[in-house]
Amino acid sequence: MSHHYVVTAQKPTAVVACLTGNFTSPTDLNLVIARNNQVEIDLVTPEGLRPLKEININGTIAVMRHFRPPDSNKDLLFILTRRYNVMILEARMVNDVITVVTKANGNVSDSVGIPSEGGVIAAIDPKARVIGMCLYQGLFTIIPMDKEASELKATNLRMDELNVYDVEFLHGCLNPTVIVIHKDNDGRHVKSHEINLREKEFMKIAWKQDNVETEATMLITVPSPIGGVIVIGRESIVYHDGSNYHAVAPLTFRQSTINCYARVDSKGFRYLLGNMDGQLYMLFLGTSETSKGITVKDIKVEQLGEISIPECITYLDNGFLYIGARHGDSQLVRLSSDAIDGSYVIPVENFTNLAPILDIAVVDLDRQGQGQIITCSGSFKDGSLRIIRIGIGIQEHACIDLPGIKGMWSLKVGIDDSPYENTLVLAFVGHTRILTLSGEEVEETEIPGFASDLQTFLCANVEHDQIIQVTSDSVRLVKSATKDLVAEWRPEGDRSIGVVSCNSTQIVVASARDIFYIVIEDGKLVEKSRKTLAYEVACLDITPLDESQNKSDLVAVGLWTDISAVILSLPELETIYTEKLSGEIIPRSILMTTFEGIHYLLCALGDGSMYYFIMDQTTGQLTDKKKVTLGTQPTTLRTFRSFATTNVFACSDRPTVIYSSNHKLVFSNVNLKEVNHMCSLNAQAYPDSLALATKNSVILGTIDEIQKLHIRTVPLGEGPRRIAYQEASQTFAVSTLRIDVHGRGGTKPLRNSASTQAQNITYSSNILPKPGTGTSTATNAEVGQEIDVHNLLVIDQNTFEVLHAHQFVAPETISSLMSAKLGDDPNTYYVVATSLVIPDEPEPKVGRIIIFHYHDNKLTQVAETKVDGTCYALVEFNGKVLAGIGSFVRLYEWTNEKELRMECNIQNMIAALFLKAKGDFILVGDLMRSITLLQHKQMEGIFVEIARDCEPKWMRAVEILDDDTFLGSETNGNLFVCQKDSAATTDEERQLLPELARFHLGDTVNVFRHGSLVMQNVGERTTPINGCVLYGTCNGAIGIVTQIPQDFYDFLHGLEERLKKIIKSVGKIEHTYYRNFQINTKVEPSEGFIDGDLIESFLDLGRDKMRDAVQGLEITLNGERKSADVEDVIKIVEDLTRMH
Amino acid sequence: MSVSDFIKGLPIHDSNNFAHLSNEHGIRTSQKRASVYLPTEDVASEQLIVMDKRCVLLRYLTQQWDKKTLQRKREHGGEGNGNGNGHGSSSTTNGNNSKKRPRLEPNDLN
Repeated sequence: MSHHYVVTAQKPTAVVACLTGNFTSPTDLNLVIARNNQVEIDLVTPEGLRPLKEININGTIAVMRHFRPPDSNKDLLFILTRRYNVMILEARMVNDVITVVTKANGNVSDSVGIPSEGGVIAAIDPKARVIGMCLYQGLFTIIPMDKEASELKATNLRMDELNVYDVEFLHGCLNPTVIVIHKDNDGRHVKSHEINLREKEFMKIAWKQDNVETEATMLITVPSPIGGVIVIGRESIVYHDGSNYHAVAPLTFRQSTINCYARVDSKGFRYLLGNMDGQLYMLFLGTSETSKGITVKDIKVEQLGEISIPECITYLDNGFLYIGARHGDSQLVRLSSDAIDGSYVIPVENFTNLAPILDIAVVDLDRQGQGQIITCSGSFKDGSLRIIRIGIGIQEHACIDLPGIKGMWSLKVGIDDSPYENTLVLAFVGHTRILTLSGEEVEETEIPGFASDLQTFLCANVEHDQIIQVTSDSVRLVKSATKDLVAEWRPEGDRSIGVVSCNSTQIVVASARDIFYIVIEDGKLVEKSRKTLAYEVACLDITPLDESQNKSDLVAVGLWTDISAVILSLPELETIYTEKLSGEIIPRSILMTTFEGIHYLLCALGDGSMYYFIMDQTTGQLTDKKKVTLGTQPTTLRTFRSFATTNVFACSDRPTVIYSSNHKLVFSNVNLKEVNHMCSLNAQAYPDSLALATKNSVILGTIDEIQKLHIRTVPLGEGPRRIAYQEASQTFAVSTLRIDVHGRGGTKPLRNSASTQAQNITYSSNILPKPGTGTSTATNAEVGQEIDVHNLLVIDQNTFEVLHAHQFVAPETISSLMSAKLGDDPNTYYVVATSLVIPDEPEPKVGRIIIFHYHDNKLTQVAETKVDGTCYALVEFNGKVLAGIGSFVRLYEWTNEKELRMECNIQNMIAALFLKAKGDFILVGDLMRSITLLQHKQMEGIFVEIARDCEPKWMRAVEILDDDTFLGSETNGNLFVCQKDSAATTDEERQLLPELARFHLGDTVNVFRHGSLVMQNVGERTTPINGCVLYGTCNGAIGIVTQIPQDFYDFLHGLEERLKKIIKSVGKIEHTYYRNFQINTKVEPSEGFIDGDLIESFLDLGRDKMRDAVQGLEITLNGERKSADVEDVIKIVEDLTRMH
Repeated sequence: MSVSDFIKGLPIHDSNNFAHLSNEHGIRTSQKRASVYLPTEDVASEQLIVMDKRCVLLRYLTQQWDKKTLQRKREHGGEGNGNGNGHGSSSTTNGNNSKKRPRLEPNDLN
């Protein structure tokens, strides 16, 4: 058997639908957003959009609409899923607690219907008498809304129109009347049908208009009293109400197709239109009042400005719009009556969207064992790279430009009884500056008792309302109230202080090998003892281990020369324990701290690594030595308190927060580039904050409670398709698609983008002869026609600057890309596969594989070979190039003459779209024939087919989990795992790849990559997970698939079954039904996969529900089987959540 | 009519909405998501949507049959109804049907 755990790290971000209405109360204005299988309800507030709740639906949302029942003052939500489940939902808010009630639910699928080609469409009668849906060809499904009935009888009506593009209900009709755009051999037509709800049939055609524009796609019904419908075409707009007819063809429409609209005012004069180019228009119906009522007299359309490529638009309030997008970030924008740079649209807020994720690269740039994901996200002008890594976020509240800070401390000066701090002491080389925080303002000030002409080593509030300042010369004690010096201690002779540490009653000072112990008294500094150590002191710490104490019994010291950590006892400074740290890098910062009742000694070294030990409070003994790499530069450790727990901040080039969870240390990245110094700051205007010194500034900010995914966007302005990472050149190669337009003097890019603004631009000179017609499309092309231009971008791994763009000449397109080391050649190359895409050909017949070398800021073509088909996939295979070309899988070797020579070849596919290799084995994902396992026999130089999955599946991505286990994603949003059965007795059995695990993910996976989002080398796990595969989906989700052992699977499965019962489904779609593996009519139960999203929701349950969930659940702990209690399960689930 | 005129007088639900939102500091980027709704109380659905599983073709045929037999009945029974009514527009035929309906309904109930 095969057991897996699948969990979402980043929820889907592509917006399917959005709408505005009064849902949570008659007066609340809500924005409702649908994403894949989730509905988000937001509240419109003076501060902007406030997310209220996210609701999971056990299905993929196909349509979301809203309506208001005649007797109601609130709106209801109607949702239709891909599996034809329907639901009517009501949101209720009582005392800020939202409940979502399923008013009605059911399934409207038809076992024999042919799915309609125009996709599923649903519309609701304006008087909420009936819901109408186009689900199957030739059928119109209605759900009459009878408030009294306990059953709503959905019925299929026979509809003459087979190819329906849009359906809406007309306003102001006696009987519910639908209007459709449909197509037949003559063109597209608009037709209205009146529905007889009693007889459940179409009664008559009220009016129709034959031969509207051939590309008409969208209907906008106009509310009463105007009535009628607006038909949106590719180039024109038509208004029609049966008798009255107006048409316009705005010039600006030519560029693109309108794909969504929003009605602005309830009377229906104004509409917003969005097109696939990201242009926003406003449509205005000019009306005149006649004896027959209000009639339309003209249509005006104006371009307002640019937005993200929209999927849906909704008008919120006061000129604000929400733009839902699936090709770029969703947006909140404001319409302004004054144009800014010719645009009336002012973007206010962007909502991150990763969709569609076409490719990902997982790289560990910092060499911390923690991957960052770089995604190819978005399309066309909204294309971007997204850099995703897990870490703790700092919310920046203020920033002060101050370069060269060497140390930083926060103090209370003159306000000792206040809970807040008011002063920040900053140390620079040769001087010290003091800043006062009054409100949000920061002013420079002076403390007379301080030596401000020297660099401060340490500063702190201490007992008896006093302040300590330590410089290289002396330790100064200053009265807080008077700010005057009251005592000073300095080492004898000309000796200077090297390192120092203090708490509120004690100071330890070291000067070379000598260490001094000083006690702070009221107005006095009393030296208690001194010792000479074997070597010079590199770092010191005297933090009390017990937080309730203000003095420590131990001093921790890091020494030069022998590189050791030494524990001294106080007051005698006796060495009680010595721990030799291996290596030659000196310790730079040492710290004693207590996490969750366990005492630790942390010792950071000059190379960014850190040792940590468990420390005995009385004997000073250090045990359980572990090492972790935090950065590459000397690291400084500082403690701070946040959310009532102790944390340690490691300042370095890779700032890290260290904390404890379930008695294990967790190391979490901070989303800042570099932090040299930090101190906690609790000022009135900046409560519970941190002050962080970077190279040139001080940042005041607060810290996130938990680590989460941080996403950085690198906009490209063109669509990225494939990405490859090359360590040798420290670059990424990205293939992109840009749209150019034929002009009079040749082609021109539509807009500036990454490939037009690269530091270097080269052009592919080597154009292959095109098969068939020899004429170039460029010369014959119509002016204004768009062409796809493919570019290979070389991007710096750190700055993400585009170093080089290599442009291919249309119709040559990049189909695949990789970085590889080939044969004995010491260079690392980018291998790029291209094909000539001619629209008339069913499949490209010619392409090439090109070898590029990026070196010294130059991209040079080293070799190329012509191939007879599209090379869909490239994999480095034992120093050779493995390619899936059309129906072939081919292996090319790299000769000493730097040429690609075909070594072997196998043809057994429809189209070999995906390849993965491990050792001699090759996994092939086919267009429609599922997965096949090949072996390369090196001696014979041939491919042998080992086994294949015989059930047809249209593949989207494949991955090798281990030598025998293979993961696949197919086009209906299902995951499956096949396993090679090497122990089978017969040859026939061995040739099969039986499907052992299956799961409906509900989203289409485009790419799998091995890698981990969290540091692998630290924090021992209690959960036995094996391997980690990341995936990226069409809807912008990122997730993890990992293998788990049988007993752990059984335990999680038990928990899953219990959670299914406890967590009720909104819309009443059973979880089991949702996760069923379904391809067309074939349905099989999900097995071998644990739904991690469901498991993790355990942590969000109330305590009593948790208790219910673990009832009767058995667990194996330390080899002992026992019934699980809530704490055990919380620990396990928390550990699982730490995977992402 | 200029574009600014188009944008003037946009609908206002509550003039306070978005009032405190300024984009002086440039465009904000938000990744925040709402907390997930986890219902544990089972509230029964008020209404169940059920699909009429009868074949569309059969239903169409029976409807046609009913119409024809009705027509025949009418032709047999109602001598007063001349050709004029029979050839009337479809809407009036429908109107006739609806006038007939009260007589049929008791049958349906049975």
